[in-house]
Amino acid sequence: MPPRLHSLLRFSHSIVRPNIDVLLFLGPFHDTPQQRSASILASLSKNPGSFRTAKRLGRGPSSGKGKTSGRGHKGQKQHGKVPLGFNGGQTKDEVVAGKRGDHFWAAFTEDMKPLNLCKVQDWVDQGRLDPSKPITIKELCESRCVSNVKDGVKLLAKGSEQFSTPLNIIISRASAKAIATVEAAGGSVTTRYYTAFAVKKIVQGKMDPINSLQSQIEAGAETLKRPFYNRLPDPTSRKDIEYYRDPAHRGYLSHLVPEGHGPSLFYRTPGTGKIATRKASKAKAADGANRIW
Amino acid sequence: MAIPSLRSSGKCLKKSALTFLTARDPVMQCLAPRLSRSMATEVQLPERQVYNPFIPAISRRPPPIVPDVLATVYSFPDMEPLRFTHYPANHLHLPLRRDILHQAVVYEASCHRGMRKASTKWRGDVHGANRKIRPQKGTGKARLGNKKSPMLRGGGVAFGPHPRDMSMKMPRKMYDLAWRIALSYRYRRGELIVVQKVQDLEMEDSWWIEKIMQHNHWGNEDGRSLLVTRRVMPKLFEAMNGSKGGQPGAGRHGIVKEESDIDVKDLLELGRIVIEKRSLDSILKDHSSDLNKTVPSAVYT
Repeated sequence: MPPRLHSLLRFSHSIVRPNIDVLLFLGPFHDTPQQRSASILASLSKNPGSFRTAKRLGRGPSSGKGKTSGRGHKGQKQHGKVPLGFNGGQTKDEVVAGKRGDHFWAAFTEDMKPLNLCKVQDWVDQGRLDPSKPITIKELCESRCVSNVKDGVKLLAKGSEQFSTPLNIIISRASAKAIATVEAAGGSVTTRYYTAFAVKKIVQGKMDPINSLQSQIEAGAETLKRPFYNRLPDPTSRKDIEYYRDPAHRGYLSHLVPEGHGPSLFYRTPGTGKIATRKASKAKAADGANRIW
Repeated sequence: MAIPSLRSSGKCLKKSALTFLTARDPVMQCLAPRLSRSMATEVQLPERQVYNPFIPAISRRPPPIVPDVLATVYSFPDMEPLRFTHYPANHLHLPLRRDILHQAVVYEASCHRGMRKASTKWRGDVHGANRKIRPQKGTGKARLGNKKSPMLRGGGVAFGPHPRDMSMKMPRKMYDLAWRIALSYRYRRGELIVVQKVQDLEMEDSWWIEKIMQHNHWGNEDGRSLLVTRRVMPKLFEAMNGSKGGQPGAGRHGIVKEESDIDVKDLLELGRIVIEKRSLDSILKDHSSDLNKTVPSAVYT
């Protein structure tokens, strides 16, 4: 039950004391000031430098945009609009000499985010990456070591002089010098195939960041695998397969390449193919045996 | 740069002259210990740093430490001070930024305006055939195409209204900052009154709450007040805001609103805010996305 008002008023304390004890002899002069709370809402405004005032056209010569309102004299431009790229009725420049060439294939280029070793080392030093666990795109994105990853991340060797921590890095691509630096420090680099979709799902935690169907899974690692919603894809195009088959790139498919063979799917490694040898047929051999000369 | 070095060299000269005098004169010598005693507290001078090109020259100075602010918690109807609470300065003691408050208030108003639904049909949207309604020539009348022309009755509307979204966008972190700026402004002016708990009334009658408002100088004469409660309290809300077709309520003395119902403009509108402590805490917690305290990391403990 809320307290009764009588007792309340007797015992309660008002925060703002009423100003009754104003000097009484000032009575006739003292006019109780009408206190109004002026809301701050009326005095809110943007900072003066943060906006431009509108350009007022046709408001007299002193405005600077008076007589022709900044449109100059005579012609279509004064009176209306001229179509974009209009060349006076002649064929437009972009039709005569349009873009041609490499830009057509630009949609198929892969957008790799560069990641330099100095940054990885910095993140490890700050304690934002755990050197005892494999460093994948998921860890890199979560710690904001890379952000806005499109198709993948390429490891580059800038700042390799400072790099000293042994790390197990699994990444889309790596430069030769970066690989050499990481391995010199006692770590390892594995490059593996990612797509933009895969990167998105890995960051969401819905896809395994390391293993796919074709990857070589070590004996102990299978038990640690937890079920993921999406499966990490393997490459299907020849170019990608060849990149990740290459042991020089530390590709994750290099275990599929037989000993002494190259990564190419097109060119056979010299000396490894079958040599076509012509065998003499048995009939001919028999013929030869019966020959006189 | 030259002036401070000159000054310092002047000081050195004076100092050396003084030591010279005190060393020579016996009177000065015996007075020296007392005279040379400086009145200022001695502070160890910072060590001179050797320039190293590999250490960045501009080291970022840590932000000044602003102490927490105190707020008194009152019991609600009788306004008895119960205890003090601390709030961090970046919650309740932020400097006033009128531009951010302005942006927040305009943003809220625009969101309230929301989607305008008015919609008309242009000549292409009107149902009908594209048949020419009369010959081009020979009728003595105007040339006309199809019956959907905006000039004709039943035709489309030229330049008519179409649905559009009036809401603006505002960065979340800025908006959260605006909330805390508004509360800080109130706090500094002593217009933020934190109460422990507001209980619902027994009766919907506005008489009781009216007396409370007037007695505490929260009423109409003192600029009205916004009462913020955690949840809707039916009788208190009816007593304060009035009911449909019923009593007018004590609305002339202020407004009562639920915590989830208030916005930045509400915080700035009336004379003061009387708010439940848990509501204030929850508002401050919800609107602190700009206070990024954790560094993104892949290491989980």
